[in-house]
Amino acid sequence: MAETPAYPALAPGKFDLSAARDDAVRRMSGAPARTDDRAHPIFAFVGALGGLPMPIKDLSESLGLDFAGGPVLARCQIALTRPLLVDRTYRVTARVAAIERKPSRRYGHADHLHLAIALADDTPFTEIALHIIFPAKGDA
Amino acid sequence: MTQSDTPFGPVSGPDMADWCTLLNDDNQIHLTREAAQAAGFGPNRVNPGPANLAYLMSALMQDDPDTVFASVDARFIGNVLEDDHLIARTDGSEATLLRDGTPVVTATFTFGEPE
Repeated sequence: MAETPAYPALAPGKFDLSAARDDAVRRMSGAPARTDDRAHPIFAFVGALGGLPMPIKDLSESLGLDFAGGPVLARCQIALTRPLLVDRTYRVTARVAAIERKPSRRYGHADHLHLAIALADDTPFTEIALHIIFPAKGDA
Repeated sequence: MTQSDTPFGPVSGPDMADWCTLLNDDNQIHLTREAAQAAGFGPNRVNPGPANLAYLMSALMQDDPDTVFASVDARFIGNVLEDDHLIARTDGSEATLLRDGTPVVTATFTFGEPE
């Protein structure tokens, strides 16, 4: 018997990591200029969100989470198998790992969203685990 | 490796809009002062979290341009606002982003071998 997924499957997306985007991120974050085709490592995070098939706001709301209530980014864990390269388009694969409701000193109760997002082309490049906390709806 | 402090700032409000474009994030607290004020952050826009982590990564890259990142574990424990002046403190595999001396992001890194 086929297993029923616990959370909705997310459509794949893509992220175009252009040299111009890398230049902009380096300028905005105070990084040294690029000396080869390796991109700034923050693109493991930027490409993960920027390459989702919908904005994080829409994704959150589609999962019943209160984006308008003011989500808080709590933690990210990134694994970089190899450096991301400029002038490449990466396939972005995301899944909802968990949504948990927990008591919260700040919100009363909070919904903890855990997303896992990978960037790859023919081979894996990066994986990120994101933990975002939302105030629980109707529990302000 | 020894401790190193890299100053950063003032944090640019207009840059926040560019970060949001890259992140496909239209959360208005990053984009308008009115939204930041209404959400209780005061009169300045709120920097997107990934930008704060980027400051730490860039500081490590300034310390060693050949740095190859293998993993990052970052915790976001405070907000960075438009016009803030920050310190990115790095010490080996540990890094902390400080706002007025208070940590707002802490991160642990592992590094790979340069190719």
